[in-house]
Amino acid sequence: MAEERSEKREDAGEAESRSLLRLLVETKSVMPAAGATGLPLVLVIAAMCFLASLALGAALSVGGATADWTRDLSGALTVEVKPARDKNIDTQVETAIKVLTGAEGVLSVHALTVADTQALLEPWLGKGNVTEDLPLPRLIDVRIDARAPPDIAALAKRLSDAVPGAELDTHRQWQAELVRAAHAAEWLAYAVLAVVAATTIAIVTFATRAGLSANREVVEVLHLIGARDRFVAAEIQRHFLHLGLRGGAIGLALSVAAFLALGWQGNAASMFLVPMSGLRLQYYPALVAVPLVAALVAVVTARLTVIRTLHRML
Amino acid sequence: MFSPSHVPNPGFHDTVPSMIRFENVGMRYGMGPEVLRDVSFHLAPGSLHFLTGPSGAGKTSLLKLMFLAQRPSRGLITMFDRDIATLPRAELPDIRRRVGVVFQEFRLIDHLTTYENIALPLKIQGRAEESYRADVKELLSWVGLGERMQAKPPTLSGGEKQRAAIARAVVAQPDLLLADEPTGNVDPEMGKRLLRLFIELNRLGTSVLIATHDHALVEQARAPELVLQNGRLTVRG
Ligand SMILES: Nc1ncnc2c1ncn2[C@@H]1O[C@H](COP(=O)(O)OP(=O)(O)O)[C@@H](O)[C@H]1O
Ligand SMILES: [Mg+2]
Repeated sequence: MAEERSEKREDAGEAESRSLLRLLVETKSVMPAAGATGLPLVLVIAAMCFLASLALGAALSVGGATADWTRDLSGALTVEVKPARDKNIDTQVETAIKVLTGAEGVLSVHALTVADTQALLEPWLGKGNVTEDLPLPRLIDVRIDARAPPDIAALAKRLSDAVPGAELDTHRQWQAELVRAAHAAEWLAYAVLAVVAATTIAIVTFATRAGLSANREVVEVLHLIGARDRFVAAEIQRHFLHLGLRGGAIGLALSVAAFLALGWQGNAASMFLVPMSGLRLQYYPALVAVPLVAALVAVVTARLTVIRTLHRML
Repeated sequence: MFSPSHVPNPGFHDTVPSMIRFENVGMRYGMGPEVLRDVSFHLAPGSLHFLTGPSGAGKTSLLKLMFLAQRPSRGLITMFDRDIATLPRAELPDIRRRVGVVFQEFRLIDHLTTYENIALPLKIQGRAEESYRADVKELLSWVGLGERMQAKPPTLSGGEKQRAAIARAVVAQPDLLLADEPTGNVDPEMGKRLLRLFIELNRLGTSVLIATHDHALVEQARAPELVLQNGRLTVRG
């Protein structure tokens, strides 16, 4: 009777649409899916994939953000004009603008007004506390052509000669430190990814060995009736493919939910110094690779473990 | 009368004098005493032999050497013209596939159905199920398990397990069939039926070696006897 049922199930088009489902739902194996390594192992792999996705998302986000900063900051300079007792600051700013505008490689020059400067200080000093007679430095925002930048040192020299008290800030110091910190964070994320992968390999190795010794009698009978190691390995591999894909799918779903939640939280959330409004859309496909890689790692690890263990048997 | 030891095996070339040859074989388990000593004999293609001796004489141990579950501690064993001492591990399956074994304790796989158990030797050869489904069902009916196809071994009776084990041993049409106490768990009537099954298989060209301590069984078929006593082997008949 069961035979009839299974034959009916072989109906043409239906089989096609179920092939994906079949990857997730394990088909019957010669090896009993050793009870102890079933659900718990799926959950462990799910946790590993969740961590791996978070680490990967963080690494990609930080990497992307540093690239943006480098691009942004190297297109900008700031000139700071300090007030001097015997000079009119407005004339100084004008002179500086003249020097800057004429220079090669400079795209635009924009002096911040006194009001702009006060607005910048307000968050620290409070509204209305910035008095007129407080000697404020004036800032000039300079946009330069990043592809054909001006000779910064020469420009700084000409500027300070023309306007005593004018300083050119290339943001280099600030940028270098920030990028260094971001790179460290990026590598940290990749290190987490590596540790997660190594842990997964160790867990699958243990589970495979446990499964093999739980099925020792079956493995022995299979060998005695002429099964090759390849056959035994394929049976066990199939088990781990399903475990890996199922665990991976759960982990991926959790991590996507986590990133969406971060996005929903908006700018309040940040990851490794980088303000994050969730994961950028372009990085989501990379996350999909996590369960696939996890399943591949599980399968390859199981296969190698089985072959190595069986080689010690007659 | 039917004389099985002289039935030629049509599938075997004439230049091969024996399919199994033991020369001064000794065997021990670990560091224990020798359970087999100076065992020498040969089995011709298409022959039928009994292997007799009291319990503990070493019958199962001798069969283990022949289905490559144990290696001899000394002596020479040739199977199908291959010296098994020098056989690389990767080639063991090729030899094992030519040998069908009915294990003393059956060794059916409990979580598979009877049908799946019996089809297993074909499945491990990589054959598609469609190519053997009908054959396996026919064999199952032939050993009287047609109705128990979907039953799992733990729900089978002793006699049913015995027949399932025999069916699995012969399903891939081996050149050599080794049966370890195949009538140990069945009543005399069933024992006779199973013996007829072995004789029929032998008639079709398979070499058969039946290990038993049941003298009634030996008397029912006139076949040469390998007698084990205290680890030593003598050939009778
Ligand atoms: N796995 C084993 N380890 C150690 N000794 C064994 C093992 N199997 C059998 N023996 C010993 O080998 C001897 C022969 O046993 P066996 O071959 O099973 O005899 P038989 O099948 O004729 O009853 C016995 O003394 C038995 O105790
Ligand atoms: Mg025995």
